[in-house]
Amino acid sequence: MTNSQNQLAVETRQLVKRFGDFTAVDHLNLRIKRGEMYGLLGPNGSGKTTTIKMLCGLLKTTSGEALVLGKRAGDPSILPRIGYMPQETALYLDLTVHDNIRLFGEIYGMGKADIERGEANLLRFIDLEKWRNSTIANLSSGMRHRVSLACSLLHNPELLFLDEPTVGIDPELRASFWDYFQALRARGVTVLITTHYMDEAHHCSTIGLLREGQLIAEGTPSEVTESAGVQSLEDAFLALARRGGGDEV
Amino acid sequence: MRFSRAFAITKRIFRGLRHDRRTVALIVFAPILAMSIFGIAFSGDVTDVGVVVVNLDEGPLAARIVSNLDEDTFDIRYMESEKDAIEEVENGEAWAAIVFPRDFTTNVMAKLQGGSVAGDTTISVKADKSNVNVATAVMRAVADAVMATMSQLGREMPITIDDSPVYGKGVEFIDFFVPGIMAFAVFMLTTLLTLLSFVGERTSGTLDRLRASPMRESEIVVGYAMAFGIIGMLQASLLLIVATLVFKITIVGNPFLAYIVVVLLAAVSVSLGILLSSAAKREAQAVQFIPFIILPTFLLAGIFWPVEAIPSVLRPLSYLIPPTYAVEAMRSVVLRGWGLEKIWLEIVVLLAFALVFLAVSVRSLQREKG
Repeated sequence: MTNSQNQLAVETRQLVKRFGDFTAVDHLNLRIKRGEMYGLLGPNGSGKTTTIKMLCGLLKTTSGEALVLGKRAGDPSILPRIGYMPQETALYLDLTVHDNIRLFGEIYGMGKADIERGEANLLRFIDLEKWRNSTIANLSSGMRHRVSLACSLLHNPELLFLDEPTVGIDPELRASFWDYFQALRARGVTVLITTHYMDEAHHCSTIGLLREGQLIAEGTPSEVTESAGVQSLEDAFLALARRGGGDEV
Repeated sequence: MRFSRAFAITKRIFRGLRHDRRTVALIVFAPILAMSIFGIAFSGDVTDVGVVVVNLDEGPLAARIVSNLDEDTFDIRYMESEKDAIEEVENGEAWAAIVFPRDFTTNVMAKLQGGSVAGDTTISVKADKSNVNVATAVMRAVADAVMATMSQLGREMPITIDDSPVYGKGVEFIDFFVPGIMAFAVFMLTTLLTLLSFVGERTSGTLDRLRASPMRESEIVVGYAMAFGIIGMLQASLLLIVATLVFKITIVGNPFLAYIVVVLLAAVSVSLGILLSSAAKREAQAVQFIPFIILPTFLLAGIFWPVEAIPSVLRPLSYLIPPTYAVEAMRSVVLRGWGLEKIWLEIVVLLAFALVFLAVSVRSLQREKG
């Protein structure tokens, strides 16, 4: 293994995922450096979630390679080092906030004291200390999102996969979520985040535009807008999609 | 496979129950309710059957037999004409017409004294046999009354039957039923609750979150099996307590053997629930499986009638479903007081079912990543 590979948190080579005749991810080559906040952008159905699921080992790859922290995606040795926040809230509705968070602490083999300390910090971080003993069923969807994030963070992962964490939440909470993510990045956590809100992408250090399972542009947000010769990422995506689409259709 | 992770799942299930009173009520009361309703409704005794007696006998014998007819079973009316009595049966006003012929006493006595008399000694029972239970009860009660009368007259049969049970002394239907309902309740509720819970894990995304963690599929399955094994033991204990205190059932065997059976059955049921959950995308679809879980078990596992009473064509199916072995083992323990040395075959079969089902459900979870 070379040095450059060791510095990569995620690397995919010609990664393909097909469901029957449908190709969800089409020869995708990603290189995400450690410490980056990488935004995978694209419309619904462009292959963002499928990519993340393959990287977390939830889906098998059809062909190509997916390396996470230097190992094959899904390798049991890397699972304790990654965190995953699914698109769905993915919490147990009948459990309290506390019970949901400590469940994941127990799963990651943390001791009781570590769980308590981590939980206290996280509850302060997501501002839900007062709701510790409420069941998830009694929380608003924005609160559930925050608890979901906390469950992904408790074991201090060095690489975090966030699948559309800001969908369906109000602008204020979205802003504070990005603050959380920046704070995590400041601590050295590598973050791979997907979104279809183009206006959020400027928070990322690098973005990749995904369309029909293919990467149609990659770079810093300003590099991408410049290369497309437009002002906003929204316009950049439309321009690039049109250009890319011309070849295929 | 790390036990602490499996145990985290077990704890999660119990912590969830603390906030889910509806499910707790289902776990606690459904088996007791089922036992009570079936136990009382299925007591098996037919009572207050309306019959019409036509006594044309001039002597005392017929009247004597009639007086020996069981009062609980029958609700007796008298008529003069056989034709009218049969009409009553035809109109559904009575279940049977019991007719004693003219000179019944004289003819019977003559026969008893060894004479070859041509006279009629037949009690004719014209019954509505459309209801099998009633018809059987009528015929048996009439025969009993004849036997009783003969012995009162000092004319006992040269053959007597001594009824001294090896097992099941004083056993009534409810006694027979309780071990069956225990197995049935554990099987059905565990399968159902696992199925619903697992469909929830899939649709809510928690299953994906577990899979992206160090949690192995086998640990998830074992965690579930442990939780429902414990719940099954609690259900079995409750049923045994209610059965003993309310229904006065004597438990002959060792309840701990019953727990072994329950735990193995719970493991099978959890696996079945997980397997079925992969074929259901929503809870509403999962509910459609319920008849397929309940009916074969209900009818083929020997809960209400022994497997021997199932037509031989269907009997192999009985031996293909795990609850059959649980019912049989449970019954042997509770009613016969058998120990491990006698029910080991059932235990081994259940253990084999449990291991195979667990392995298949783990495998199917692993394959879903495909």
